[in-house]
Amino acid sequence: MISLFKRYGTLVGFIAIVAFFWFNLPDTFMTARNWLNISQQISMLAVVAFTMTFVMVMGDFDLSVGSMASLSGITAALLFSQGYPVAAGVAAALAMGILGGFFNGFLVSILGILPFVATLGTLTMFSGLAFWLSDGKTIFGRDIPKTFSGFARGGVDIELAGTLALKIPYLSILALLVLAAVWLVLEQTSFGRRLYAIGGNYEAARLAGVKVRRLRMAAFALTGFGAAIGGLMYASRVASANPTQGSGLMLDAIAAVFLGMTMSEEGEPRVLATLVGVLILGVLDNGLTQMSVDSYIREILVGAIILTAVASSSVGKFRR
Amino acid sequence: MSFLEVAHVSKSYSGAIALKDAHLDIAPGEVHALMGENGAGKSTIIKILAGVTAADNMAATIDGKPVTITDAQESYRHGLRFIHQELNIVPHLSVAENIMLGLPYPRRYGALVDWRELNALARAALDKLQVSHIDTRVKAARLSTGDQMLMKIAATLISAGDSPARLYVMDEPTAALTGAESRKLFQVIDELKQSGASILYVSHRMNEVMEICDRVTVFRDGQTIATRNLSDTDKNEVIHLMTGRDVKDSYPPRRATKGEDVLLDAKALRTRQVRDVGFQVNRGEILGIAGLADAGQSAVLLALLGVDRVQAGHVTIHGSPIAAQNPSAAWRNHVAYIPRERRREGLMLQRRIVDNINLPHLQKLSFAAGFLSRRRERRFADALGKKVRLKSGGMNQACYQLSGGNQQKVVFARALGDAPELLLLDEPTRGVDVGAKFDIYTLIRERSAEGAAVVMTSSDLPELIGMCDRILIMREGAQHSIIETDGLSPADLLAKFYD
Repeated sequence: MISLFKRYGTLVGFIAIVAFFWFNLPDTFMTARNWLNISQQISMLAVVAFTMTFVMVMGDFDLSVGSMASLSGITAALLFSQGYPVAAGVAAALAMGILGGFFNGFLVSILGILPFVATLGTLTMFSGLAFWLSDGKTIFGRDIPKTFSGFARGGVDIELAGTLALKIPYLSILALLVLAAVWLVLEQTSFGRRLYAIGGNYEAARLAGVKVRRLRMAAFALTGFGAAIGGLMYASRVASANPTQGSGLMLDAIAAVFLGMTMSEEGEPRVLATLVGVLILGVLDNGLTQMSVDSYIREILVGAIILTAVASSSVGKFRR
Repeated sequence: MSFLEVAHVSKSYSGAIALKDAHLDIAPGEVHALMGENGAGKSTIIKILAGVTAADNMAATIDGKPVTITDAQESYRHGLRFIHQELNIVPHLSVAENIMLGLPYPRRYGALVDWRELNALARAALDKLQVSHIDTRVKAARLSTGDQMLMKIAATLISAGDSPARLYVMDEPTAALTGAESRKLFQVIDELKQSGASILYVSHRMNEVMEICDRVTVFRDGQTIATRNLSDTDKNEVIHLMTGRDVKDSYPPRRATKGEDVLLDAKALRTRQVRDVGFQVNRGEILGIAGLADAGQSAVLLALLGVDRVQAGHVTIHGSPIAAQNPSAAWRNHVAYIPRERRREGLMLQRRIVDNINLPHLQKLSFAAGFLSRRRERRFADALGKKVRLKSGGMNQACYQLSGGNQQKVVFARALGDAPELLLLDEPTRGVDVGAKFDIYTLIRERSAEGAAVVMTSSDLPELIGMCDRILIMREGAQHSIIETDGLSPADLLAKFYD
């Protein structure tokens, strides 16, 4: 019973949060429109958190994802403003993400710097690079092509009963695709299994012939890639790019994975559990905003809820 | 009358017996040696005396009065001081601070540390040992290992309150010392003895023990075998007491004679930890590697696995040199390895049995693009689990729930997964119960009869003699000799470890 509560406590908490808002916002919260809205609001965070799961599976983490997201937005916008086509800007931004991720992986895996220190350093570097490239200014307006910013406004129309038209945002669909891809890689391939092995016991994995260094680099590269996607989504959504717009993503992404980890018996990150973590953060944000709770109070509440979830699952661990 | 006497000491760790009704008595002002093979229970009794581990049962007296030792503070109040194999020093603090560590520092104005007084106290302690060459203000990290040892001894001379040191327990104190440093230590031991303190001296080095000790107590399999005056005994008797048991006929017989062709050929190997290692192993042959604790046995296996870089010499497996030096290449080359520390180096304890068994074999259990086949995974692990006679609650059970023997079988299942040509086994039966031991011996024999070459280390001498065709003796990181096991007794083998 206790172990059941421990395992599903976070899920129960999520349901309680949903019920709370449903009760307090009877007209607006539990509607298809609002949920589609939530799905769009959380899509950027979701992509970054899903790909953050790659490194957290190995017991590492990446603090640089937020500034990488900003840098990727700036990279694309800068190329757009020079007249390059959308595809080129997007490709350059994604390449930037992969390169930055490999650099993180190199620092952690080859040079052996602790992930905290290594990615704290690259956080500053990526952020500085974004400021330098953009000259500290926001790139917006005519510089951002309509095809790029239009993506975040578009969606797939669905008709219910012939009349009620809803639009599933492309951003939400993209986040779902990333979720599916990360799930496949982590849960269904030998690559993912080896990442979990590294997290389970680094030394044992190495002695059993797992190429621990290479895999660790690859995982960091994937996390960087995800951060770049998140940054592009953000830039598309606000039709502009500035060198600080991704900075909020890092703490929320790590928090989402931690929330998810409280749901697994062994305390391992699972990408579907990360989804629940992202939903908790997204629903809280959406509901509290609708209840016009002050944004500072919102932050206090979100922090307290994360701590409660993590504390309750680690209390259980001590008892065992 | 004895200073310290402990009797009926028993201790078991989750079923494995470490001490069984052992006893030990130490007279005032004597140097008392404690000897025994690895795993005989020496470390356990030291931990119990230090108050770090609680005995299941023990009757202790000091000066004839019954006492208890429930924690480290109580042990300290009884006057017991411990100088461990691995020195607990804080390398970036000064010698003086290390000496005074754990004691209240002298103060000025009630708040500031009185450095002058601190250094003077430390100086006085070193002077008592007649050690004048150590500066109390340098960082401890700068001292040689021998000087660090002297520093730790000096620290034990300064006692908090009114509990002077009465017994020094020294666990392999000379293991890391040079000859000259050891001589200095022996002088200090002599001075401590003159001052009326006793010393419990734990060492594998027979010659030292013969030279400086008054009496010796021998432990074997957790029991006290005998206590002798060293003037009434000799090296051979002590070795006999240590190994005493007959080689039990608990080893499955050799099935086939060893093959003709050489599978593994190592020439003049040198790594960070070993030197001058050269040997050949044929198909179907089992080579043992033996020596005192940390004489380089495990390091030879690490060189063959590609973990420790081979600095000189070379290794060939079926005539072709090993190309890449890393464990991944070794496994691909059909070399399988069982690590010494099962929990730290072998298993992902939180993960399922199937994940642990399949780890090095994921490639061949996958479809294209690395997608795993659950069915192949399941079948593969099931077959191996059956082969090693694993007793578990199913392949999805987490490994931490298994007994030590079954955990070791999981590691074996992993190693046997891809028909290894060369099996590297580091203490393959460590912490394994008798029944599982026999299963493991059988598995080694089977694989050997199928033509694999086996190289194994063990601190269990009868096991080495029972399982191996030849034994390579390591002494302090260098190969000493290779001997045939036919007609070899454990005492003969043990004698080879000592100079």
